[in-house]
Amino acid sequence: MKNIEKYNAVFCENLKITEAMLPNLKYQAVPLWDSVGHMTLVAALEDAFDIMLETDDIIDLSSYEKGKEILNKYDVKI
Amino acid sequence: MNEAKKKTAVITGCNRGIGKDVVRLLAEQGTNVICCIRKENPDFSAFLNDLAEKYSISTEILYFDLTDEEGIKAGLKPLLQRKQRVDVLVNNAGIATGGFLQMTSIQQLKDVFQINFFSQVLITQTISKLMIRQKSGTIVNMGSIAGLENFAGYTAYGSSKAAIMFFTRTLARELAPYNINVNAVAPGLTDTGMAGQMEDKAYKEMVERSDFKRLGKPEEIANLVVWLASDKASFITGQIYRADGGM
Repeated sequence: MKNIEKYNAVFCENLKITEAMLPNLKYQAVPLWDSVGHMTLVAALEDAFDIMLETDDIIDLSSYEKGKEILNKYDVKI
Repeated sequence: MNEAKKKTAVITGCNRGIGKDVVRLLAEQGTNVICCIRKENPDFSAFLNDLAEKYSISTEILYFDLTDEEGIKAGLKPLLQRKQRVDVLVNNAGIATGGFLQMTSIQQLKDVFQINFFSQVLITQTISKLMIRQKSGTIVNMGSIAGLENFAGYTAYGSSKAAIMFFTRTLARELAPYNINVNAVAPGLTDTGMAGQMEDKAYKEMVERSDFKRLGKPEEIANLVVWLASDKASFITGQIYRADGGM
């Protein structure tokens, strides 16, 4: 599976949304992406890409697009 | 005990006093222990080796200084890297200071808060990530009656302990969705090195305020910590448990 596919799958599975909703998706824009869901999403991303996000990056993960930039810092090219 | 059923606990500040008894009691229950201490201590290493042999558990020591945030992160990194399962975190480390406000510098306050509060928060932030992933865990923080009762001379220590106990209650709400419970123990004056640092007058006053008129024994506090860390306390979260001989 390509990284983009894994990345999209993490968002879709954890936030219970479709891929069509991913572009421009922002934190708290869907019911399951609340503060509790955020931590679950972070844990799922960490599992999927075998990384451990720094606290500052967890805070910065404010959108679907921003997440790609953050993962890039961990050598995960999306 | 079946290896797969063994729990693993991370304990800070555990080479003496209450923390050392917590390690011993957890080991007796067959819990693997990861001990966080500041520097190498051959006596403590020997103590852990004995526990490992006696109770067939694994033991590990992580060395870092709680005044050094980067050191804390580096010290805990191996746990993150290997995705260590952590069932129990006991934030026990702390320092005691006394002194009236006019005799307490802001730097002293910051130093006490660094060890008694900020470092514990940082450790919890790190370890709770592992617990969130595994969707289970138990955190026990070491509070103090000094953070609940008003004693003159406890501006720094009492305030830092009040902070860790408030943190406990807040964190319990945040981590409940992940099946993680968070509680704190608030000991009265306990027979450890900390008690020995007190002025004689303050020491006597504190003993006199307790109904039992004596110091707590480290094991009496550790028993409560270990009980809160056990499955027997699985429905308890966000609570501060006093063990103070009656105050």
